[in-house]
Amino acid sequence: MNNKKQRGYVSLPGIGDLALSGLRPLIGILLGLIAGAGLIALSGVNPLSAYVAMLKGAFGSPQAFANVLVRASPLLIGGVGVAIGIKAGLWNVGIEGYMYAGAIGAGMVGIAALPVAPIVHIILSFLAAIAFAVVWGLGPAYMKAYRGVNEVVATIMMNYVAIFFTSWMVHEPQPMAEPGSFFPMSRMIAPTAKLPILMKGTSLHPGFIIGLIACVVLYFVLRYTPFGFRTRMLGVNPVGSRYAGVNVRQQMLFVLLIGALMGGVSGAVEILGLKQRVYMDFVAGVGYESVAVALLAGGNPLGVIASALFFSALKAGGATMSIQTGVGGPMTVVIEALCVIFVIGVGYSERKRLERLDVAEKEDKEVEYDVA
Amino acid sequence: MTQNIEIAMRMEGITKRFPGVLANDRISLDCRKGEVLGLLGENGAGKTTLMNILYGLHQPDSGKIFIEGKEVKIESPAKAIELGIGMVHQHFKLVDTLTALENVILGIPSEHPMVLDLAPARKRFLSLCEEYDLYVDPTVETWRLSVGKQQWLEILKALYRDARLLVLDEPTAVLTPSEGEQLFKAIRKLTKEGRSVIFISHKFGEVLEITDRITVIRDGHVVGTVPTKEATYPELARMMVGRPVSMDRKPRPSATKIDPVLVMENVQANNDRGLPALKNINLTVKAGEIVGVAGVDGNGQLELAECIVGLRKRTGGSIRIQGHDVDRVMADPSFVGYIPADRQKVGLFLTLTVAENLVVKDYAKPPFTRRGVLRYQAIRQHANRLIKEYNIRTPSSEVQVVHLSGGNQQKVVVAREMSAQPPLVIASQATRGLDLGAVESVHNFLLKERNRGAAVLFISTELQEVMSLSDRIIVMFRGEIMGEMDGEAADINVIGQMMLGQVTEVVA
Ligand SMILES: Nc1ncnc2c1ncn2[C@@H]1O[C@H](COP(=O)(O)OP(=O)(O)OP(=O)(O)O)[C@@H](O)[C@H]1O
Ligand SMILES: [Mg+2]
Repeated sequence: MNNKKQRGYVSLPGIGDLALSGLRPLIGILLGLIAGAGLIALSGVNPLSAYVAMLKGAFGSPQAFANVLVRASPLLIGGVGVAIGIKAGLWNVGIEGYMYAGAIGAGMVGIAALPVAPIVHIILSFLAAIAFAVVWGLGPAYMKAYRGVNEVVATIMMNYVAIFFTSWMVHEPQPMAEPGSFFPMSRMIAPTAKLPILMKGTSLHPGFIIGLIACVVLYFVLRYTPFGFRTRMLGVNPVGSRYAGVNVRQQMLFVLLIGALMGGVSGAVEILGLKQRVYMDFVAGVGYESVAVALLAGGNPLGVIASALFFSALKAGGATMSIQTGVGGPMTVVIEALCVIFVIGVGYSERKRLERLDVAEKEDKEVEYDVA
Repeated sequence: MTQNIEIAMRMEGITKRFPGVLANDRISLDCRKGEVLGLLGENGAGKTTLMNILYGLHQPDSGKIFIEGKEVKIESPAKAIELGIGMVHQHFKLVDTLTALENVILGIPSEHPMVLDLAPARKRFLSLCEEYDLYVDPTVETWRLSVGKQQWLEILKALYRDARLLVLDEPTAVLTPSEGEQLFKAIRKLTKEGRSVIFISHKFGEVLEITDRITVIRDGHVVGTVPTKEATYPELARMMVGRPVSMDRKPRPSATKIDPVLVMENVQANNDRGLPALKNINLTVKAGEIVGVAGVDGNGQLELAECIVGLRKRTGGSIRIQGHDVDRVMADPSFVGYIPADRQKVGLFLTLTVAENLVVKDYAKPPFTRRGVLRYQAIRQHANRLIKEYNIRTPSSEVQVVHLSGGNQQKVVVAREMSAQPPLVIASQATRGLDLGAVESVHNFLLKERNRGAAVLFISTELQEVMSLSDRIIVMFRGEIMGEMDGEAADINVIGQMMLGQVTEVVA
């Protein structure tokens, strides 16, 4: 089966180049949706009507779309933080942890009743979020850059620490905690720290605008600044980068910290825009989803926009689908996962094709077979 | 040898077009049973492409392939292997973390897919090693193997699959002379068994020694095929390059400057395996001179170069470049122009474009960056100028370097490193994989750098070019400098002995 896919890629040279230039995720997503349709059909529901319900749930009304945008906000910001790491060859999977750290920072300042204008209060809250997240990210970033610890391990470990740290922070008698609450959570943030609602009757806040700006800015940074050029060099060839005068360790540190910063902003947006309180599990995997978003986008910041919207549409529409057709909610997660896997799969066969053409052979299909 | 002319493989009218390049233009050639067919041609002539087609890595746009008289369609390497074709690639690709044996059996469907029984494979592997006198320890992880051994491994891999036609794409580029001899012995044995070998190389001496016939390719088409017995060096060179080429010692103005640029004192360093590779190296290179480093590969040349450019930690001693400590120099790569022996690992960013590769050291300076923003137009212009000046064959400056032929990849590195006019140039195997004309032009560029006043350290395992280019020659053996002599007066026999570790009386 793998074989067939491979063949298709080897003998159709045209597709390869298109795929590299952005069609690749689309092909992967299409395959993922088709596979998802198969599963939906297996569970006894007409996949077409399920997908129609999903589309309606995501785009059927302005309110529905507002909901998509709300869900997309943290994914955009977190996703682009992961994406810049991918471009540098680094797996910054600590977004979840940075989000918690940012949330605590934003929460602490947001809760305080400050005698300042809302805009100032909001900015201060964001700055606190950034400071917390970056300090939080320093540990794993330093370990990776200067001590050679695998960044996946370092950042993931810190995620767990962050979650439990948050839990501790919102338990009484910590000053942040809501006194006498049944479920441990922080106090509500002050009205002056709340992000404005952009559309009546929805929770649409400006988070997605921040996300869009972040994606566009990082795209330009990567392509048009020396910093971005270094980042891409590092991702392609670390040894060569070192020789060419790039301070590789420092570059790794910065790239990982940008991820942390983005994670912090993402956490702050969730708190100030939507949740208004900090509690354990308030992100519930959004940080990990950001990694999937970045993967789907192939590390391209502009691609992150599309893939974050896709993920959140799937989520938002998935709820409607499950109400209208009875397909279980977890199905949307399965479809998400399928899309990611197919996109990676297409990318993999694509890379193999390139290797075949230019560098060398290797009968990859049989490699897997043999190792199994 | 070739009385009974049985054709093992025949290609007819093979055409292959890449975006912007006609890599193969109606190429026809055949390879007989039991012969070694040499394939000669400039960088980018289309040799590797043609062989990749034979091995099923590319599909030809048109043309036919016959194996033992039967027309075949080779749509994948698996099919090629089935047809008895084996290939050792120009840039070989073994899985670094697997053992030698695992690499060999990789990709062979086993009878019981769920279990990996290595015992019979090991037996077969070892008997092959013995039969062809190419020993590789089956249990050692591949990354620990020297390039030479990796080459044996690639060959053994093909033989393990019982290849009857073996394609060797520039196999000797990475071999020491004695390894080269060993390879030739193996090749002779192969052809005696009735197998055929296609041998690609830019080294004329070897091609004349080992092949039975030679096919010359230029710009994607066949210029001609000659029996090796009737071929001569100048004629082949002319067929290949289209003009006469000379490799004689180049006349030069005598050096006038005397400032030492590179000063190494008691430098010591370890190799990748942690063993001492440099023992107390003392070396000075002055402005306006080329110091040639002769020696068999693996005697510390790589470590020497890497220490100077700061890629390798010293365990002792000091290195100064224009009076500055080398560790401080590292932060500013414009001090040193470095042409690394392993271009793909150190010198190139394969998935960046040619234009981007040409500015990886200068991207942050004007005119490439102005007001904090990269100026792609300036970067492209710069690239187009160098592409012309250094005769890099590429469809455009916006092509990823990975799509260039091996020799043209090397030219990208050469162009970038020389064009910056650094005070010190370290050229490590700079002409490896380059064709005759390109070798000549690299030599000319190095000479130009010298005449401009740069200090040049020219490391090469090709004694011939060390002798024809250097003002001064040092010989390295087991991490030490065995001796030093004047370039004009150097005696090839003395150097040859020093390369083998025999200390001779100091020659004046
Ligand atoms: N995958 C590819 N995409 C685009 N162009 C390619 C590709 N592979 C090779 N080319 C081009 O085809 C031409 C022939 O390349 P090839 O690698 O066959 O040369 P070669 O004769 O092996 O040269 P060398 O001696 O330098 O190895 C070159 O101009 C190269 O840039
Ligand atoms: Mg080649």
